[in-house]
Amino acid sequence: MIQLSKNYSLPERQDEPIPIKVVGVGSAGSNALDRVLLDGMDKGDLIAVNTDVQSLASSVAARKVQLGRTCTHGLGTGGDPELGYQAAIESADEIRQALEGARMIFICAGLGGGTGSGAAPIVAQLAREAGSLVIAFATLPFSFEGKRRATQAQDALARLNEIANAVICFENDRMGDMVAPKAGIHQAFGVADMTISQSVRSIVNLIQRPGLIRIGFDDLFAALRSQNGRCLFGFGESDSDNRAHDALTQALKNPLMDKGRMLSEAAHVLVQVAGGPGMTLSEVEILMRELGRHVRDHTQIVFGTAVDGKMGNRLSVTIISSLASEDSVVAEPMPAPPEPFLAPPPAILEQVAEPPAPPKIDIVPEPEIAHSPQSTAGDLIAFEPPAAADATPPAPIPSIKKPAPRLIPPKKKPVVEKEAKPPKEKFIQAKQEVLQFEPVTRGRFEKSEPTIVEGQDLDIPTFLRKNIRVK
Amino acid sequence: MANGDLIVGLEIGTSKICVVVGETRPDGTLKILGVGQAPSRGVRKGEIVDFETAMKCVHEAVVDAEQKSDVMIRSVYVGVAGGHIQSFNNRGCVILPEERDEIDEQDVEDVKINAREVSIPAQNAFLHSIIQHYHVDGQDGVLNPVGMLGEKLEADFHIIHGVRTRIQNTIRCVKELPLEVEDVVFSALASAQVVLTQHQKNLGALVVDIGGGTTDYILYVDGAVKQSGVLAIGGDHITNDISMGLRIPMARAEKIKTEEGSCVLGNCLPGETILLKDDSGFAGKEIERETLNTIIHLRLRETFELLKRNVEEEPFINYVGAGIFITGGCSLLNGIDHLAGEVFEMPAHVTHAQTLSGLTSAVENPQFSTAIGLLKYAQAVQVDRPRRGITRIFGRFFSGMR
Repeated sequence: MIQLSKNYSLPERQDEPIPIKVVGVGSAGSNALDRVLLDGMDKGDLIAVNTDVQSLASSVAARKVQLGRTCTHGLGTGGDPELGYQAAIESADEIRQALEGARMIFICAGLGGGTGSGAAPIVAQLAREAGSLVIAFATLPFSFEGKRRATQAQDALARLNEIANAVICFENDRMGDMVAPKAGIHQAFGVADMTISQSVRSIVNLIQRPGLIRIGFDDLFAALRSQNGRCLFGFGESDSDNRAHDALTQALKNPLMDKGRMLSEAAHVLVQVAGGPGMTLSEVEILMRELGRHVRDHTQIVFGTAVDGKMGNRLSVTIISSLASEDSVVAEPMPAPPEPFLAPPPAILEQVAEPPAPPKIDIVPEPEIAHSPQSTAGDLIAFEPPAAADATPPAPIPSIKKPAPRLIPPKKKPVVEKEAKPPKEKFIQAKQEVLQFEPVTRGRFEKSEPTIVEGQDLDIPTFLRKNIRVK
Repeated sequence: MANGDLIVGLEIGTSKICVVVGETRPDGTLKILGVGQAPSRGVRKGEIVDFETAMKCVHEAVVDAEQKSDVMIRSVYVGVAGGHIQSFNNRGCVILPEERDEIDEQDVEDVKINAREVSIPAQNAFLHSIIQHYHVDGQDGVLNPVGMLGEKLEADFHIIHGVRTRIQNTIRCVKELPLEVEDVVFSALASAQVVLTQHQKNLGALVVDIGGGTTDYILYVDGAVKQSGVLAIGGDHITNDISMGLRIPMARAEKIKTEEGSCVLGNCLPGETILLKDDSGFAGKEIERETLNTIIHLRLRETFELLKRNVEEEPFINYVGAGIFITGGCSLLNGIDHLAGEVFEMPAHVTHAQTLSGLTSAVENPQFSTAIGLLKYAQAVQVDRPRRGITRIFGRFFSGMR
């Protein structure tokens, strides 16, 4: 007889972190970079790239690359993207060297100026050529900075969109909203930097943190897929008694979130909940249920959760999404590809192998459906085997031995495609049941004079009148 | 104890009848001597529906109060509520004779009478007309016009009226006992007397008294009553909703509401249940806590939203600076202040009677706000009767109600 220890658990999986580099292009970019560093970032290298030597010298980044030694002579570009572009071309080798060895590169740039608009696309290009995955964080200028800068920014954004795997775009105007009207302009810019820093860190954490339900690149891209769309990003952290609620509220307060109102229009929402060992299942459930009120029924929620000892008492929520623009509708009609590969048996095995995972899976209300593979596959061939493997139907086997980190998400896809619909039907059935069994009655007030206000008999319980299911 | 100093407040509520005995001191303070109460039967939504039963209950409560405070009760101030009570603002106007331009007390009396000359439905009777402000020749916000020079004196009054027969039912119920009825007072007005300080009235405040059968409200801005009214929804409705939603008897629903209920959502663990026990301790049905809270939340949110729509018919709510003050039995529900604050988007507080001496346990219970408020009201009116100058206390009139 074989005795199994009840305390059986997976050996701590200490996979080596994915090499990540964060590049700040231009002075806005290096400001954001400084902020990332100040806020504490130990999981990636920071590189400042600029034409302006002065600004470069004041940056606290560990590694610095000066662009266009001969064409700008250490000065700025004077707001000319063309000059920024040439400077970047001139220093292409240096940039390449700096970017070497990273599997994932974040580019922070303030678009609208010379270096940011001109050089950022080149940096992105070089990074892609080096086989890295590129996510760009771009800020669009304040509207008071003038139309010219706005057009330059839009052009640069369009180029970045073509090159980078994903672009998260922050509109400075929107961020200005969260600054008190009396606050100085430096504060307004500071808020922009802070938001960028927050999102860089949370995305890094998202990918680096050992997750019970892991969120991978492909999930991230699914959430950010609607190109040219507006990125929604929210991050909240709390250690109060009601931390699940507080963290979510905070995340929804983010200026890019518009109090969660925007979420209702999103087609994909990526949520990661991270907390210390004290995080409970019910907290996650409360949080997800609350979030569920902000999204529509058919929105895909890509859910991930991670336990990190460093979090202590805190619980953090990261919400990433992009607004469903027209092209997401175009991308929608492709549910066919997941069909060919049936649920691979290893998926079940692996889920069993990781004890905490199965319960979590049960509570995820609407697990993700990966439409991403095809749309991102082209971008990823060079470097991302898992996503590429998913995209091509005859390759279910490689998906099994894919790197340990992305245990669940990719594997669930085929299964989930089928799951996603039945729950909905069940829900509707349940609703009908309730409507049937409760005759409209006024109970105790049966014989008294009815209280009729605005055409409603208020003696009838509210939940009956509003058809809200309570049970 | 000299009977002349005694004041008794009687509130015939939907869930309980409560009698508060107080004594005015020579220094003007009020001391509570005793509180009597009895569960109420035969009252629905603040109005008597079963005369005999209700009378018995009132009698019980009065006897209880007499025993506890060791006095004989002869006359009482009675609080009234009920969905029939309505209010509006009206302006009276008096033009001074040409040979005189100094306003005297007679003009002030005239303008009061003038303001009351409005048409209310034939079956209705006036309950209160409360002075808000005087205007002299268009000059706003005059508090005391006597002695001022002017040609035209106007006065804004807040007038509260209700269906005559229903008010008379309440009076008759007390008179049959027999007890003398000193006065009938709208219950929210009474509550406001003890719940709010003068400062809060000046800042602007909305008092919401959520009782068993009705939700009474009164809104003060600049120290004057601007709006008042009654919604015939109260704690009974919550209990009824729970009873129907969870399919349990009313008595159990009431118990579980007061002991376990909360109107905060998303605060309990999923699947957390409450075990219902009957009187013998026999474990009965299990119900989900979230379900209970959802039922309560939905009803209260709706009530507040309805109240908000009522209040928003006029612009005064925008000038409320001190916030919302919730009192009455239902204010004991967990989280009600948060819910009210959320709906009205202003600070909300649960309060009870303030600044009184005597039985503090009674004072601190929001269920007694109205009855204690009646004492304070009575005290103010009694001070007013000997007419020590012109005070801004409620101008009273009563037409053939007693």
